[in-house]
Amino acid sequence: MANSEIQILLVEDDRSDAILATRALQKHNLANNLVHLEDGAEALDFIFAKGKYADRDPENKPKVIFLDLKMPKVDGLEVLKVLKDNEATKLIPVVMMTSSQEESDIVASLKLGVNSYVVKPIDFEKFSKTIVQLGFYWLVVNKTPNGL
Amino acid sequence: MKKTYSDADLKSELEIVRNLLDKKNLENLETKEELESVVKELAVQITKKEEKVLKLAEVNKDLAHQIEIKEKKTAELEVVIQELEFFSYSVSHDLRSPLRAINGFSRIILEEYGHDFEEELKFYFDEILSNSEKMGELIDSILEFSRIAKHKLSYRSIDTNSTVNSIIRELRNLEPDRDFEIKIKDLPGVSGDKNMIRQAFFNLLQNAFKYTGKKEIAVIEVGSYLEEDNTVFYVRDNGAGFDEQYSNKLFGVFQRLHSSKDFEGTGVGLATVEKIITKHNGRVWAESKVNEGACFYISIPVNVDKE
Repeated sequence: MANSEIQILLVEDDRSDAILATRALQKHNLANNLVHLEDGAEALDFIFAKGKYADRDPENKPKVIFLDLKMPKVDGLEVLKVLKDNEATKLIPVVMMTSSQEESDIVASLKLGVNSYVVKPIDFEKFSKTIVQLGFYWLVVNKTPNGL
Repeated sequence: MKKTYSDADLKSELEIVRNLLDKKNLENLETKEELESVVKELAVQITKKEEKVLKLAEVNKDLAHQIEIKEKKTAELEVVIQELEFFSYSVSHDLRSPLRAINGFSRIILEEYGHDFEEELKFYFDEILSNSEKMGELIDSILEFSRIAKHKLSYRSIDTNSTVNSIIRELRNLEPDRDFEIKIKDLPGVSGDKNMIRQAFFNLLQNAFKYTGKKEIAVIEVGSYLEEDNTVFYVRDNGAGFDEQYSNKLFGVFQRLHSSKDFEGTGVGLATVEKIITKHNGRVWAESKVNEGACFYISIPVNVDKE
Protein backbone atom coordinates (compact mmCIF):
# COMPACT_ATOMS: atom_id res chain seq x y z
CA MET A 1 0.00 0.00 0.00
CA ALA A 2 2.83 2.37 0.89
CA ASN A 3 4.07 2.64 -2.67
CA SER A 4 0.90 2.20 -4.60
CA GLU A 5 -1.16 5.15 -5.67
CA ILE A 6 -3.79 6.07 -3.16
CA GLN A 7 -7.19 6.30 -4.74
CA ILE A 8 -9.56 7.14 -1.94
CA LEU A 9 -8.83 8.68 1.43
CA LEU A 10 -11.77 8.05 3.71
CA VAL A 11 -11.75 10.22 6.83
CA GLU A 12 -14.55 8.96 9.05
CA ASP A 13 -14.72 8.65 12.84
CA ASP A 14 -17.83 6.48 12.87
CA ARG A 15 -16.60 2.91 12.63
CA SER A 16 -19.86 1.53 11.28
CA ASP A 17 -20.17 4.21 8.60
CA ALA A 18 -16.56 3.50 7.58
CA ILE A 19 -17.21 -0.25 7.31
CA LEU A 20 -20.41 0.30 5.35
CA ALA A 21 -18.80 2.81 2.99
CA THR A 22 -15.76 0.61 2.42
CA ARG A 23 -17.94 -2.41 1.74
CA ALA A 24 -20.05 -0.52 -0.79
CA LEU A 25 -16.94 0.64 -2.61
CA GLN A 26 -15.35 -2.83 -2.47
CA LYS A 27 -18.42 -4.35 -4.10
CA HIS A 28 -17.74 -2.14 -7.10
CA ASN A 29 -13.96 -2.55 -7.10
CA LEU A 30 -13.48 1.02 -6.06
CA ALA A 31 -11.73 0.31 -2.75
CA ASN A 32 -8.49 -1.26 -3.97
CA ASN A 33 -6.32 1.52 -2.68
CA LEU A 34 -8.45 2.97 0.05
CA VAL A 35 -6.99 4.45 3.19
CA HIS A 36 -9.26 4.94 6.15
CA LEU A 37 -8.37 7.44 8.90
CA GLU A 38 -10.43 8.26 11.94
CA ASP A 39 -10.03 11.96 12.52
CA GLY A 40 -9.11 15.24 10.89
CA ALA A 41 -5.78 15.67 12.66
CA GLU A 42 -4.60 12.29 11.43
CA ALA A 43 -5.87 13.08 7.95
CA LEU A 44 -3.82 16.29 7.80
CA ASP A 45 -0.71 14.45 9.07
CA PHE A 46 -1.27 11.84 6.41
CA ILE A 47 -1.82 14.23 3.51
CA PHE A 48 1.15 16.47 4.39
CA ALA A 49 3.36 13.53 5.50
CA LYS A 50 3.88 14.71 9.04
CA GLY A 51 3.95 13.07 12.46
CA LYS A 52 3.64 9.32 12.22
CA TYR A 53 3.26 9.63 8.45
CA ALA A 54 6.59 11.51 8.03
CA ASP A 55 7.97 8.65 5.92
CA ARG A 56 5.18 8.89 3.41
CA ASP A 57 5.67 10.55 0.04
CA PRO A 58 3.47 13.67 0.15
CA GLU A 59 3.38 13.65 -3.65
CA ASN A 60 1.30 10.49 -3.45
CA LYS A 61 -1.97 12.35 -3.19
CA PRO A 62 -5.35 10.70 -2.99
CA LYS A 63 -7.55 10.94 -6.09
CA VAL A 64 -10.45 11.90 -3.91
CA ILE A 65 -11.02 12.54 -0.20
CA PHE A 66 -14.26 11.44 1.45
CA LEU A 67 -14.44 13.63 4.50
CA ASP A 68 -16.87 13.28 7.39
CA LEU A 69 -17.97 16.65 8.68
CA LYS A 70 -18.28 15.99 12.39
CA MET A 71 -15.15 14.46 13.87
CA PRO A 72 -13.21 14.80 17.11
CA LYS A 73 -10.12 17.06 17.34
CA VAL A 74 -10.06 18.56 13.84
CA ASP A 75 -13.44 18.46 12.10
CA GLY A 76 -14.20 18.17 8.41
CA LEU A 77 -14.62 21.89 7.81
CA GLU A 78 -11.21 22.61 9.33
CA VAL A 79 -9.55 19.92 7.21
CA LEU A 80 -11.30 21.27 4.13
CA LYS A 81 -10.09 24.80 4.87
CA VAL A 82 -6.46 23.69 5.24
CA LEU A 83 -6.60 21.65 2.02
CA LYS A 84 -8.24 24.36 -0.07
CA ASP A 85 -5.91 27.06 1.29
CA ASN A 86 -2.81 25.12 0.26
CA GLU A 87 -1.55 25.25 -3.34
CA ALA A 88 -0.28 21.67 -3.07
CA THR A 89 -3.63 20.22 -2.08
CA LYS A 90 -6.32 22.60 -3.31
CA LEU A 91 -6.98 20.57 -6.47
CA ILE A 92 -7.70 17.29 -4.69
CA PRO A 93 -11.46 16.74 -4.94
CA VAL A 94 -13.10 16.68 -1.52
CA VAL A 95 -16.49 15.11 -0.91
CA MET A 96 -17.97 16.28 2.35
CA MET A 97 -20.12 13.58 3.91
CA THR A 98 -22.41 14.26 6.79
CA SER A 99 -25.48 13.01 8.55
CA SER A 100 -26.70 16.54 9.13
CA GLN A 101 -28.86 18.53 6.81
CA GLU A 102 -27.88 21.78 8.47
CA GLU A 103 -27.89 24.54 5.90
CA SER A 104 -25.13 26.39 7.71
CA ASP A 105 -22.82 23.38 7.27
CA ILE A 106 -23.63 23.15 3.57
CA VAL A 107 -23.04 26.85 3.05
CA ALA A 108 -19.78 26.77 5.02
CA SER A 109 -18.52 23.80 2.98
CA LEU A 110 -19.44 25.41 -0.31
CA LYS A 111 -17.71 28.65 0.70
CA LEU A 112 -14.55 26.73 1.47
CA GLY A 113 -14.64 25.16 -2.01
CA VAL A 114 -15.94 21.66 -1.39
CA ASN A 115 -16.38 19.58 -4.58
CA SER A 116 -19.44 17.63 -3.45
CA TYR A 117 -21.64 17.71 -0.42
CA VAL A 118 -23.56 14.60 0.54
CA VAL A 119 -26.06 13.96 3.30
CA LYS A 120 -25.58 10.31 4.20
CA PRO A 121 -28.92 8.55 3.80
CA ILE A 122 -30.13 6.38 6.66
CA ASP A 123 -31.22 3.66 4.29
CA PHE A 124 -28.18 1.48 3.57
CA GLU A 125 -29.11 0.81 -0.04
CA LYS A 126 -29.32 4.51 -0.77
CA PHE A 127 -26.15 5.08 1.23
CA SER A 128 -24.24 2.46 -0.79
CA LYS A 129 -25.56 3.82 -4.05
CA THR A 130 -24.52 7.36 -3.12
CA ILE A 131 -21.03 6.34 -2.04
CA VAL A 132 -20.48 4.20 -5.14
CA GLN A 133 -21.75 6.92 -7.47
CA LEU A 134 -19.39 9.42 -5.87
CA GLY A 135 -16.44 7.02 -5.99
CA PHE A 136 -17.16 6.24 -9.60
CA TYR A 137 -17.56 9.88 -10.53
CA TRP A 138 -14.40 11.17 -8.89
CA LEU A 139 -12.20 8.19 -9.75
CA VAL A 140 -13.38 7.26 -13.20
CA VAL A 141 -15.44 9.98 -14.83
CA ASN A 142 -13.80 13.13 -13.57
CA LYS A 143 -10.67 14.30 -15.36
CA THR A 144 -7.99 15.75 -13.11
CA PRO A 145 -4.97 17.77 -14.27
CA ASN A 146 -1.76 15.76 -14.69
CA GLY A 147 0.52 15.75 -11.72
CA LEU A 148 -2.22 16.10 -9.17
CA MET B 1 -42.92 134.05 59.94
CA LYS B 2 -41.22 131.53 61.98
CA LYS B 3 -43.41 128.89 63.50
CA THR B 4 -42.58 127.87 66.98
CA TYR B 5 -43.44 124.53 68.56
CA SER B 6 -44.58 124.25 72.03
CA ASP B 7 -43.60 121.26 74.19
CA ALA B 8 -47.16 120.04 74.02
CA ASP B 9 -47.06 120.16 70.28
CA LEU B 10 -43.87 118.21 70.16
CA LYS B 11 -45.20 115.66 72.55
CA SER B 12 -48.32 115.04 70.52
CA GLU B 13 -46.24 114.83 67.32
CA LEU B 14 -43.98 112.32 68.98
CA GLU B 15 -47.02 110.38 70.13
CA ILE B 16 -48.29 110.23 66.57
CA VAL B 17 -44.92 109.04 65.27
CA ARG B 18 -44.71 106.43 68.01
CA ASN B 19 -48.18 105.21 67.17
CA LEU B 20 -47.20 104.99 63.53
CA LEU B 21 -44.07 103.09 64.44
CA ASP B 22 -46.03 100.74 66.64
CA LYS B 23 -48.44 100.10 63.81
CA LYS B 24 -45.57 99.47 61.41
CA ASN B 25 -43.97 97.14 63.90
CA LEU B 26 -47.20 95.28 64.21
CA GLU B 27 -47.47 95.09 60.47
CA ASN B 28 -43.91 93.88 60.22
CA LEU B 29 -44.62 91.28 62.76
CA GLU B 30 -47.63 90.13 60.81
CA THR B 31 -45.61 90.05 57.61
CA LYS B 32 -42.96 88.10 59.42
CA GLU B 33 -45.51 85.62 60.63
CA GLU B 34 -46.95 85.37 57.16
CA LEU B 35 -43.50 84.87 55.75
CA GLU B 36 -42.79 82.23 58.31
CA SER B 37 -45.95 80.37 57.46
CA VAL B 38 -45.12 80.63 53.73
CA VAL B 39 -41.67 79.30 54.44
CA LYS B 40 -43.21 76.48 56.44
CA GLU B 41 -45.62 75.72 53.63
CA LEU B 42 -42.73 75.77 51.16
CA ALA B 43 -40.81 73.41 53.38
CA VAL B 44 -43.78 71.05 53.47
CA GLN B 45 -44.09 71.22 49.71
CA ILE B 46 -40.40 70.63 49.26
CA THR B 47 -40.63 67.63 51.52
CA LYS B 48 -43.55 66.38 49.47
CA LYS B 49 -41.60 66.94 46.25
CA GLU B 50 -38.66 65.14 47.72
CA GLU B 51 -40.90 62.29 48.70
CA LYS B 52 -42.27 62.21 45.17
CA VAL B 53 -38.75 62.24 43.75
CA LEU B 54 -37.87 59.42 46.05
CA LYS B 55 -40.97 57.52 44.99
CA LEU B 56 -40.16 58.15 41.34
CA ALA B 57 -36.64 56.97 41.91
CA GLU B 58 -38.07 53.85 43.47
CA VAL B 59 -40.42 53.31 40.53
CA ASN B 60 -37.51 53.87 38.20
CA LYS B 61 -35.47 51.39 40.12
CA ASP B 62 -38.33 48.93 39.97
CA LEU B 63 -38.67 49.45 36.23
CA ALA B 64 -34.96 49.02 35.78
CA HIS B 65 -35.18 45.87 37.80
CA GLN B 66 -38.07 44.61 35.70
CA ILE B 67 -36.18 45.42 32.53
CA GLU B 68 -33.23 43.58 33.98
CA ILE B 69 -35.45 40.56 34.68
CA LYS B 70 -36.88 40.76 31.15
CA GLU B 71 -33.40 40.95 29.70
CA LYS B 72 -32.31 38.04 31.80
CA LYS B 73 -35.33 36.04 30.66
CA THR B 74 -34.68 36.96 27.03
CA ALA B 75 -31.09 35.83 27.43
CA GLU B 76 -32.28 32.61 29.05
CA LEU B 77 -34.75 32.06 26.21
CA GLU B 78 -32.00 32.62 23.69
CA VAL B 79 -29.94 29.98 25.45
CA VAL B 80 -32.90 27.59 25.37
CA ILE B 81 -33.44 28.26 21.66
CA GLN B 82 -29.76 27.66 21.04
CA GLU B 83 -29.91 24.45 23.02
CA LEU B 84 -32.95 23.34 21.05
CA GLU B 85 -31.17 24.08 17.79
CA PHE B 86 -28.18 22.16 19.04
CA PHE B 87 -30.52 19.37 20.06
CA SER B 88 -32.08 19.17 16.62
CA TYR B 89 -28.58 19.22 15.13
CA SER B 90 -27.63 16.34 17.41
CA VAL B 91 -30.77 14.48 16.47
CA SER B 92 -29.99 14.95 12.82
CA HIS B 93 -26.43 13.78 13.15
CA ASP B 94 -26.02 11.51 16.10
CA LEU B 95 -29.24 9.53 15.86
CA ARG B 96 -28.97 8.90 12.14
CA SER B 97 -25.57 7.21 12.24
CA PRO B 98 -26.47 4.33 14.56
CA LEU B 99 -29.70 3.88 12.66
CA ARG B 100 -27.78 3.59 9.41
CA ALA B 101 -25.57 0.98 11.07
CA ILE B 102 -28.59 -1.08 12.20
CA ASN B 103 -30.15 -0.81 8.78
CA GLY B 104 -26.88 -1.42 6.93
CA PHE B 105 -25.64 -4.44 8.84
CA SER B 106 -29.08 -6.07 8.82
CA ARG B 107 -29.17 -5.65 5.08
CA ILE B 108 -25.66 -7.05 4.70
CA ILE B 109 -26.59 -10.11 6.76
CA LEU B 110 -29.67 -10.62 4.59
CA GLU B 111 -27.66 -10.15 1.40
CA GLU B 112 -24.79 -12.43 2.36
CA TYR B 113 -26.56 -15.13 4.35
CA GLY B 114 -30.25 -14.58 3.68
CA HIS B 115 -30.46 -17.39 1.13
CA ASP B 116 -29.92 -19.93 3.91
CA PHE B 117 -32.39 -18.35 6.30
CA GLU B 118 -35.66 -19.89 7.32
CA GLU B 119 -38.73 -17.83 6.50
CA GLU B 120 -39.16 -16.80 10.12
CA LEU B 121 -35.63 -15.44 10.41
CA LYS B 122 -36.07 -13.55 7.16
CA PHE B 123 -39.29 -12.09 8.49
CA TYR B 124 -37.56 -10.84 11.63
CA PHE B 125 -34.83 -9.19 9.62
CA ASP B 126 -37.39 -7.53 7.40
CA GLU B 127 -39.03 -6.17 10.55
CA ILE B 128 -35.70 -4.72 11.71
CA LEU B 129 -35.23 -3.12 8.32
CA SER B 130 -38.69 -1.65 8.00
CA ASN B 131 -38.55 -0.30 11.55
CA SER B 132 -35.19 1.35 11.06
CA GLU B 133 -36.54 2.90 7.88
CA LYS B 134 -39.62 4.11 9.73
CA MET B 135 -37.48 5.67 12.43
CA GLY B 136 -35.39 7.33 9.75
CA GLU B 137 -38.53 8.85 8.28
CA LEU B 138 -39.62 10.04 11.71
CA ILE B 139 -36.28 11.69 12.37
CA ASP B 140 -36.30 13.32 8.95
CA SER B 141 -39.81 14.66 9.33
CA ILE B 142 -39.29 16.03 12.81
CA LEU B 143 -36.15 17.74 11.52
CA GLU B 144 -38.10 19.14 8.60
CA PHE B 145 -40.69 20.41 11.06
CA SER B 146 -38.12 22.16 13.26
CA ARG B 147 -36.40 23.55 10.19
CA ILE B 148 -39.67 25.17 9.13
CA ALA B 149 -40.30 26.43 12.66
CA LYS B 150 -37.07 28.45 12.67
CA HIS B 151 -37.12 29.40 8.99
CA LYS B 152 -37.50 33.13 8.28
CA LEU B 153 -40.14 33.90 5.68
CA SER B 154 -39.14 35.66 2.50
CA TYR B 155 -42.29 37.10 0.96
CA ARG B 156 -42.96 37.20 -2.74
CA SER B 157 -45.99 36.77 -4.95
CA ILE B 158 -46.83 33.17 -5.67
CA ASP B 159 -48.63 31.77 -8.72
CA THR B 160 -50.88 29.37 -6.82
CA ASN B 161 -52.26 27.78 -9.99
CA SER B 162 -48.91 26.63 -11.28
CA THR B 163 -47.80 25.59 -7.79
CA VAL B 164 -50.84 23.35 -7.30
CA ASN B 165 -50.70 21.96 -10.84
CA SER B 166 -47.04 21.01 -10.57
CA ILE B 167 -47.64 19.27 -7.23
CA ILE B 168 -50.53 17.30 -8.69
CA ARG B 169 -48.42 16.25 -11.69
CA GLU B 170 -45.69 15.13 -9.29
CA LEU B 171 -48.10 13.13 -7.13
CA ARG B 172 -49.88 11.54 -10.10
CA ASN B 173 -46.57 10.40 -11.52
CA LEU B 174 -45.96 8.49 -8.30
CA GLU B 175 -49.20 6.53 -8.76
CA PRO B 176 -49.78 6.26 -12.51
CA ASP B 177 -52.19 3.34 -12.15
CA ARG B 178 -54.77 5.04 -9.99
CA ASP B 179 -57.95 6.68 -11.24
CA PHE B 180 -58.31 10.30 -10.34
CA GLU B 181 -60.92 12.92 -10.94
CA ILE B 182 -59.14 16.15 -10.13
CA LYS B 183 -60.81 19.55 -10.32
CA ILE B 184 -58.72 22.63 -9.89
CA LYS B 185 -60.61 25.91 -9.90
CA ASP B 186 -58.88 29.11 -10.97
CA LEU B 187 -56.87 30.10 -7.90
CA PRO B 188 -55.85 33.66 -7.00
CA GLY B 189 -52.20 34.47 -6.45
CA VAL B 190 -51.01 34.91 -2.91
CA SER B 191 -48.17 36.66 -1.15
CA GLY B 192 -45.94 34.42 0.97
CA ASP B 193 -42.80 32.34 1.23
CA LYS B 194 -42.77 30.39 -2.00
CA ASN B 195 -41.10 27.20 -0.78
CA MET B 196 -43.14 27.06 2.39
CA ILE B 197 -46.49 27.70 0.75
CA ARG B 198 -45.62 25.02 -1.79
CA GLN B 199 -44.81 22.67 1.09
CA ALA B 200 -48.18 23.40 2.71
CA PHE B 201 -50.09 22.67 -0.52
CA PHE B 202 -47.91 19.63 -1.10
CA ASN B 203 -48.71 18.14 2.30
CA LEU B 204 -52.44 18.77 1.90
CA LEU B 205 -52.54 17.27 -1.59
CA GLN B 206 -50.33 14.37 -0.56
CA ASN B 207 -52.84 13.62 2.19
CA ALA B 208 -55.72 13.85 -0.27
CA PHE B 209 -53.94 11.35 -2.53
CA LYS B 210 -53.12 9.10 0.41
CA TYR B 211 -56.49 8.99 2.10
CA THR B 212 -58.36 8.39 -1.15
CA GLY B 213 -56.15 5.35 -1.76
CA LYS B 214 -58.95 2.91 -0.99
CA LYS B 215 -61.57 4.57 -3.21
CA GLU B 216 -62.17 3.32 -6.71
CA ILE B 217 -61.99 6.81 -8.12
CA ALA B 218 -60.27 9.48 -6.08
CA VAL B 219 -62.11 12.77 -6.36
CA ILE B 220 -59.96 15.73 -5.35
CA GLU B 221 -60.97 19.36 -5.64
CA VAL B 222 -58.88 22.47 -5.05
CA GLY B 223 -60.63 25.82 -4.85
CA SER B 224 -60.67 29.16 -3.09
CA TYR B 225 -62.86 32.02 -1.92
CA LEU B 226 -62.41 35.41 -0.33
CA GLU B 227 -63.37 35.91 3.30
CA GLU B 228 -62.86 39.42 4.65
CA ASP B 229 -59.15 40.14 4.20
CA ASN B 230 -58.18 36.53 3.67
CA THR B 231 -57.92 34.22 0.73
CA VAL B 232 -59.18 30.83 1.78
CA PHE B 233 -57.94 27.82 -0.18
CA TYR B 234 -59.44 24.40 0.27
CA VAL B 235 -58.51 20.87 -0.70
CA ARG B 236 -61.47 18.50 -0.70
CA ASP B 237 -61.36 14.75 -1.21
CA ASN B 238 -63.71 11.77 -1.10
CA GLY B 239 -61.31 9.69 0.99
CA ALA B 240 -61.38 8.03 4.38
CA GLY B 241 -61.98 11.28 6.23
CA PHE B 242 -61.65 11.55 9.99
CA ASP B 243 -63.85 11.62 13.05
CA GLU B 244 -64.48 15.30 13.84
CA GLN B 245 -64.59 14.41 17.50
CA TYR B 246 -60.79 14.23 17.34
CA SER B 247 -60.23 17.25 15.12
CA ASN B 248 -58.27 19.00 17.91
CA LYS B 249 -55.56 16.40 17.38
CA LEU B 250 -55.51 16.83 13.64
CA PHE B 251 -52.73 19.42 13.47
CA GLY B 252 -50.63 18.20 16.42
CA VAL B 253 -47.11 16.94 15.91
CA PHE B 254 -46.91 13.14 15.85
CA GLN B 255 -50.69 12.96 16.21
CA ARG B 256 -52.46 10.59 13.88
CA LEU B 257 -56.13 9.74 13.45
CA HIS B 258 -55.46 6.62 11.38
CA SER B 259 -53.33 3.60 12.18
CA SER B 260 -50.19 2.94 10.12
CA LYS B 261 -51.81 -0.33 9.16
CA ASP B 262 -54.52 1.57 7.27
CA PHE B 263 -52.53 4.57 6.12
CA GLU B 264 -48.77 5.09 6.45
CA GLY B 265 -47.61 8.32 7.98
CA THR B 266 -45.48 10.04 10.60
CA GLY B 267 -47.97 12.57 11.96
CA VAL B 268 -45.95 15.58 10.95
CA GLY B 269 -47.55 16.60 7.64
CA LEU B 270 -50.52 18.61 8.95
CA ALA B 271 -48.50 19.99 11.88
CA THR B 272 -46.12 21.36 9.27
CA VAL B 273 -49.02 22.87 7.30
CA GLU B 274 -50.30 24.60 10.42
CA LYS B 275 -46.84 25.89 11.33
CA ILE B 276 -46.38 27.33 7.84
CA ILE B 277 -49.79 28.98 7.67
CA THR B 278 -49.57 30.37 11.22
CA LYS B 279 -46.23 31.92 10.31
CA HIS B 280 -48.07 33.65 7.47
CA ASN B 281 -50.63 34.98 10.02
CA GLY B 282 -53.22 32.66 8.55
CA ARG B 283 -55.39 29.87 9.89
CA VAL B 284 -56.03 26.19 9.15
CA TRP B 285 -59.12 24.10 9.81
CA ALA B 286 -60.85 21.08 8.47
CA GLU B 287 -64.18 19.32 8.27
CA SER B 288 -64.98 15.74 7.51
CA LYS B 289 -67.31 12.80 7.72
CA VAL B 290 -65.84 9.37 8.21
CA ASN B 291 -65.58 7.48 4.93
CA GLU B 292 -67.11 10.37 2.99
CA GLY B 293 -64.05 12.53 2.64
CA ALA B 294 -62.41 15.54 4.18
CA CYS B 295 -61.96 19.19 3.36
CA PHE B 296 -58.93 21.14 4.56
CA TYR B 297 -58.89 24.93 4.57
CA ILE B 298 -56.01 27.36 4.77
CA SER B 299 -56.55 31.09 4.96
CA ILE B 300 -53.83 33.54 4.05
CA PRO B 301 -54.11 37.33 4.55
CA VAL B 302 -54.47 39.21 1.26
CA ASN B 303 -52.54 42.28 2.35
CA VAL B 304 -49.52 41.09 4.19
CA ASP B 305 -47.39 43.20 6.44
CA LYS B 306 -44.03 42.12 5.20
CA GLU B 307 -41.74 41.34 8.07
